[in-house]
Amino acid sequence: MEIALAGNPNVGKSLIFSRLTGVGVVSANYPGTTVEFSEGRAKFMGMTVTVIDLPGTYSLAGNTDDERVATKLLYERRPNTVVAVLDGTRLERNLVLLFELIESGYNVVAALNMYDIARKNKLNIDVARLERILMMPIIPTVATKGEGIDSLLYTSIQMRRRSRFQVRYDSHIESMVTELAKNLKEEDWEIPLRAVAVRMLTGDSNVVEKAPEELVERAARLREEFKEGHGEDIVVHIQRDRFGEAGRIAKEVIGQAATAKTKKDIAKDLTLRPTTGIPILIGVLALVFVTLVFVGGAIEGVLVGSYGASLKPIFEDIAADTGNNITSGIVTGISLSIEAMLALVVPYILVFYVMLSILEDTGYLVRVVSLLDGLMHKFGLHGRAVIPMVVGFGCNVPAIMATKAMGSKREQLILAALITIAIPCSAQTAIIIGSVGKFAGAQWALLIYMILLSTLVALGIALHKIIKFEPTGLICEVPDLRMPSARQTAVKTYIRIKEFLLIAFPLLLVGSIVLETLLAMGVLLDLLEPARPFMENILGLPAIAAVALVFGILRKEMALQMLIVLEGTSDLSEILEPGQMFRFALVMAVFMPCLAAFAVMIKQFGIRSALAVTASSIALALVMGAIANALMHL
Amino acid sequence: MASEITEQYLKVIYKLTEDGGAAKTNDIASAMDIAPASVTEMLHKLDEQRYIKHEPYKGAVLRSKGMKIARKVLRKHRLLERFLADFVGIKGRSTHEQACKMEHALTDEAEHNLCQMMHRPQECPDGKKIPKCDKALTCEKCTSNDVPLSEVREGQRAVVSHLVSEDRDELCSMLAMGFVPGSEVLVEKKVSMGGPIIVSLKGTKVAIARDRGKLLHVVKVV
Repeated sequence: MEIALAGNPNVGKSLIFSRLTGVGVVSANYPGTTVEFSEGRAKFMGMTVTVIDLPGTYSLAGNTDDERVATKLLYERRPNTVVAVLDGTRLERNLVLLFELIESGYNVVAALNMYDIARKNKLNIDVARLERILMMPIIPTVATKGEGIDSLLYTSIQMRRRSRFQVRYDSHIESMVTELAKNLKEEDWEIPLRAVAVRMLTGDSNVVEKAPEELVERAARLREEFKEGHGEDIVVHIQRDRFGEAGRIAKEVIGQAATAKTKKDIAKDLTLRPTTGIPILIGVLALVFVTLVFVGGAIEGVLVGSYGASLKPIFEDIAADTGNNITSGIVTGISLSIEAMLALVVPYILVFYVMLSILEDTGYLVRVVSLLDGLMHKFGLHGRAVIPMVVGFGCNVPAIMATKAMGSKREQLILAALITIAIPCSAQTAIIIGSVGKFAGAQWALLIYMILLSTLVALGIALHKIIKFEPTGLICEVPDLRMPSARQTAVKTYIRIKEFLLIAFPLLLVGSIVLETLLAMGVLLDLLEPARPFMENILGLPAIAAVALVFGILRKEMALQMLIVLEGTSDLSEILEPGQMFRFALVMAVFMPCLAAFAVMIKQFGIRSALAVTASSIALALVMGAIANALMHL
Repeated sequence: MASEITEQYLKVIYKLTEDGGAAKTNDIASAMDIAPASVTEMLHKLDEQRYIKHEPYKGAVLRSKGMKIARKVLRKHRLLERFLADFVGIKGRSTHEQACKMEHALTDEAEHNLCQMMHRPQECPDGKKIPKCDKALTCEKCTSNDVPLSEVREGQRAVVSHLVSEDRDELCSMLAMGFVPGSEVLVEKKVSMGGPIIVSLKGTKVAIARDRGKLLHVVKVV
C-alpha cells in the first residue's frame, strides 16, 4: 500500500508527511537528478503504509526538474492514493494542481490544510459543497497541531474511487483533445486518454516519448494551428481555463472573498529594504556565527571531553596492545574518525542545520534571496546562491548539497567552486581564529577575511566572464513571516544529518585509517620530505606544516592539533612566528576542501569537475601563500 | 440608459464618421431609410443630450458620451454578425438585419462572453473592424495599451494580458505560478538594487526577477 503526497510549495506538505510517518524517514535524490524526495512509513491498524513525499510543484506539466521528478514518481510507483495537500487560505491557486491530479486518473484525496488559519481569517469554506463539486473526499487538516491527520490517513487507505470531475477547456481545445484521444489505445496507457491527449498538446516530454510518432506530429500540427488562430500558445489557454475553473469553484464554496487577505504588507517589510534589510542580514549572520562558535564550542567541549574520558583510552589501549603498526593505525583511525564526528558533526553541523531550518521555515531566507537577487546577478549568480554561501560558513558539505537549488548545472558548479575556495567553513574559521587571531592579533585575522571576500568577488566575476551563461530569473513565492515548528525543524535536521553522515563518515573513516597507518609506520614525514624545499623557500613555512596541510584534508581544525602533537609543545607560537601563522592560515583557508566535501562534489558534478575544483583551490592556495611570503620579505 | 432609437442613430453616425469627417443629414436619412426632416429633429435632440455635436450644413460628429454608446452597439452588432455567420450558419444580408435587432437586447455580459467564446474576432464577416471593448481588461487582444510588469509602479494594480516568451519551460513555469492572462496582480514592492518585483497574485506574494517581469505584459487598472 502506497500513498503519495502532492502539493504546491509552502502548503505544509512536509509537516503532514512528518505527522504521518514519524521519524523512520529516508530521503534520496531521484536517480540522475538533484531533486530530493522523502519516503517514510505510516502505521495504521497494524498495516504498514509507505508514504512518498513528492517534491512541491505548481503543476505536473514537466517543465522543471521538480515537476519531472514528481510526474515520474507518480508514474513509476503508481501509488494507490494521491493526497493533494491544499492551502485552505489559498484555495483558488491550489486547486489547479488538484485538477491535474484528477485529470491524470489518480485516486485523489485532498487535505484542506491550514484550516485553522482559514477559519481565523473568516474564510468559511463549504467543505461538503467542495466535495460535491469535485466528487472526492476533502479532509480539513491542521498539520501544525496534528488535527485531521488520522482521518486523512484513514480516508486515503479506504480510497478506491476516481473522481469524475473534469475541467472543460474551450471548445477548440476540447475538439483537439477528443480527436487525439480517439486515436490512442487504452491498453497502451496507464493514465486516462484524455490526460494523455492534453499532455500531448502541451508537449509534455513524458508522454511524447511514448506516443506513436504520427500522433506526436499530429499534436504538434494542432498546436501550431492553435497558435496561428489564437496568437497564443495552447498552454496559455489550458492554464487559463484551469485557473478560471479554480476561481469559479473557490467563489462558489467560499463566497465573496475567494482568497484570504494577507495582513502583512510587503511594502513595509523591513527585511526587503536595503537600508534596513542589510543591517538585519548582518545581524542575523552574526547571531548564527556566534551561536555556532559558542554553543557549538560548548557542545564540542563536553562531547570530546567525555569521549576522551570513556572510549578513547580503550581504543588507545587496544592500539598499544597490538604492537603492530598497521593494526594500531587502523584502530587509531577508527577512534579518530569517531572523535571527528563528535567534534564536528554533532556540535557544529547539527547546530547549524537547526538554525538553517529555522531561517528557512520562518520565511526569512526567501526575503534575503529577494533582497540580494539583483546584486548577485552582477556576479552571474542567482539570489538563491546566498543560501549555500551562508551554509558554507558552517560546513562546505551541506553547502555543496544546497547548490541544488540553483537553476542549471553550470550555476551549481560555479557556486560550489566559489564556496570551496573562498568561503571559510567553521573548521577553517577555527584555524584562522585559533592561530592568527590568538597569536598575531585580530587585525590579521580580519585581513584574511578581507582577502577571502575579495577573492570571492573577483572569482565570481571572472568565472562569470569565462563561463558564459545567463542566470535564470528568480520566480518564487514569498510566504508571510511565521513561527517555525519544532517538529518540522527536527525532521528536517534529522534528514539532513543522516544524508551528511552517509556521505562523510565512510570517507573520513578510510582517510583516517590510511593517514594513521602511515603515521604509525613512520613514513608520513618521509613521504612529505620532497615538499620541504617548496614549503621553506616559497611559502616560508616549516616543513612540518605540510603534515598539517595533508591532515587538513581530513579535518581542518585537527591540522593545528597535529602541529602541536608533532612538535611536542602546546604553544603554537613556538612553532610558527606571526608572519608564518598568517600565511599558514591563509593557505589553509583557501586550500582544498576536506575529503567529505570532495566526495559530495564527485556525487553531484562527477569526478572531473570535482578534481578541477580541488586542483584549482590547491593551486590558488599555494600561489596566494607564495605571494604573501614574497610581499612580507620585500 | 439610451433608448433603442438613440442607439441606432449613434451607431449610424459612428459608421458614417468612421473614416473621419462629419455625418450629413441626408446620408443618415438614407442609411436609416427615414425622411431627412425627422433626422434633423432627432439630431437636435441628440445634441441637446450631448451625445453628438450637430452643426447645420456641416453634419454631426459624436461626442465622447455618444461615441462610447455607438462603439458598444456597433461592437455588439458586428460580434453578432460574426456569431450568426460562423456559428449559426446564416449567410448574406440577413445576418446584418438580424444583428440590427438583436444588438439592443444583448447584455454587456453576454457580449463579453460571446467575444471570449469566438476567441475575440477582430473583424465582422464583411471585413469591417469590430470596435474594441472599453472596459474588459481581461480581453488581452482588445487592449493595446499593455506594458511590461517591470514598468508598473509600486502599489499599482494590473491585469495580466499576455506573456512574451518563446521558451516553453519558462512560459509554463510562469503560468503554473498563476500568471495567466486575466489574473490581477498588485505590485507590492520593487526591491532596490535591481532586485525582484514582489506582487500579490491570487492570495500569494510572488517574487519575480525584473528581467522575467519584462516578459509579462499587463494592463494597468485605473
